[in-house]
Amino acid sequence: MPPGSIPVIEVQDLVVEYRNGRQTHRAVQGISFTVDPGECVGFIGANGAGKSTTMKTLMGFVFPASGTVRMFGEAAGSVESRRRLGYLPEVALYYPFMKARELLELYGGLQGLTRADLKQRIPSLLEEVGLGGKGNQLLKNFSKGMQQRLGIAQAIIAKPEALIFDELSSGLDPLGRHDLRQVLLRLKSEGTTIFFSSHELSEVESLCDRVIMINEGVIVARAAVADLMEPLNVFEVGFTASGELPAEIAALGPKQGNAGWTLESSGQAQYADAVAKLARNGCSILSTESKRRSLEDYFIDLVRNSAGTRQ
Amino acid sequence: MRQIWLIARGVLLEAVRRKEIYAVVLLSLLLIGGIMTVNFFNLEGVSKFYRETALKIMSVATAITTVVLASRQLPREFSNRTIYPLLAKPISRWTFLVGKLLGVLLAAAFCLALFMLVFVGGSAYLGASVPWGLTLQFIYLQMIMMLILAGMSFWLSLLLNLDAAITIGVLFYATSAVITSATTFLYDLVSDFGRLCLLALTYILPQLTLFDLSAKTVHSEAWSPLPLTTMLQLTGYGLVYGILYASLSYISFRRRPL
Repeated sequence: MPPGSIPVIEVQDLVVEYRNGRQTHRAVQGISFTVDPGECVGFIGANGAGKSTTMKTLMGFVFPASGTVRMFGEAAGSVESRRRLGYLPEVALYYPFMKARELLELYGGLQGLTRADLKQRIPSLLEEVGLGGKGNQLLKNFSKGMQQRLGIAQAIIAKPEALIFDELSSGLDPLGRHDLRQVLLRLKSEGTTIFFSSHELSEVESLCDRVIMINEGVIVARAAVADLMEPLNVFEVGFTASGELPAEIAALGPKQGNAGWTLESSGQAQYADAVAKLARNGCSILSTESKRRSLEDYFIDLVRNSAGTRQ
Repeated sequence: MRQIWLIARGVLLEAVRRKEIYAVVLLSLLLIGGIMTVNFFNLEGVSKFYRETALKIMSVATAITTVVLASRQLPREFSNRTIYPLLAKPISRWTFLVGKLLGVLLAAAFCLALFMLVFVGGSAYLGASVPWGLTLQFIYLQMIMMLILAGMSFWLSLLLNLDAAITIGVLFYATSAVITSATTFLYDLVSDFGRLCLLALTYILPQLTLFDLSAKTVHSEAWSPLPLTTMLQLTGYGLVYGILYASLSYISFRRRPL
């Protein structure tokens, strides 16, 4: 972040509680993070982890029990901060009695676009989200996927500086997800800050600069996607050694198989190091296999490990 | 101001496109049509009976439409989650509420306009004259009454649930005249403490009967239109309650987690 610039999202020790009668459920338990201008950050967590609650707090729909949330340096939920934001809720139906064009006129108008702006912007926007020619259709005839596309259109209608998408590709088919990815890539290239949650972790991998993982209201991991993915590239090297296994190789912890030994290394650097050691010790490399673990595998391990730790 | 209009336009579109208003008007039309065929009155009797029935139907149907439409605005926004994209835009919760209130009032005005068409058409068919001065005052005061009912329904829908808000709103409208006459009747019969309670009741609950000019409009030969000062006083009285209920709604809604 350039010195002196204000983070788009700034969350400090956020605690959010829901009351149900006398019972209090703590949905978010003291999380802190920031999102800087121009960043694309994925917010990952299982159902009920606290993602939507956090996002609702950013929008001012839910109020913190303690901690502070600031958007563009303003209090979260302030009219000023919402003027610069686009938001796609987790699940939203749109007024069934309205036409797609009328709905966008409503949302665009609330965001301050003039009639002339709207007349110019709506057809191209509908085209961009794959709803070209559907502007005069009543929303009661829209499928869930079409409603989600319209939701994306309403979020970006005023070309906001930052986007908050709760469950990005919910209800979209593969084509819809592809179209959406193109839209987001364009916005990202134009410098729009994007903060989104998604259960499609491949989407997070392909779009994000950084990920924040939340589990049971607590942040369990945060890293740049590149840093996170590097150790997930697992290389398996099959080799044989003449005679006893050299000590330098034995220290790497190879496993003995029927046709020789196998050695697993995480990341490109570790792999290169292992191959060099094998060559130096006169081992014959029989095979090399790349087994790339996904962000999803990493996330599942993380959640299971954190559950195991608590037990 | 534009934001208020945009929200109000959405409510009006809902009212106009959902066709419930037309169903109410059509049913009323059939009822009024039936009345016009009554043949045991002379011309003056028929026209008075017609005027009385038509104005009563107009008032009841508009009030029920207003209460139902106002009561369901916020609960439906919550249950369908349409409120999230809406309040994600730079609009304050007060502006949102005022827009909704204005939309309900515009829908009520649309409903009254449809009934007026029926009323004027029926009068022309019967060859009866329309007392325009009193009729327009009747319509205006009906709109003030709808402001009170809509504000109250908003508040009730935030305190209770949709069904309860509609039930209480309709019951209040239907029993308002009874409450007023019972309060007046009982006032001289009860103790000082009882009088205090009745007085409190009179001020806490708006007196909807004040806004009902139907009897004067029916018997227009005996009544002149109300003087401007009375109309201004009634407007002020209605605005106090309308603003009070809108403010109570805002207090309930202002910090409500969504």
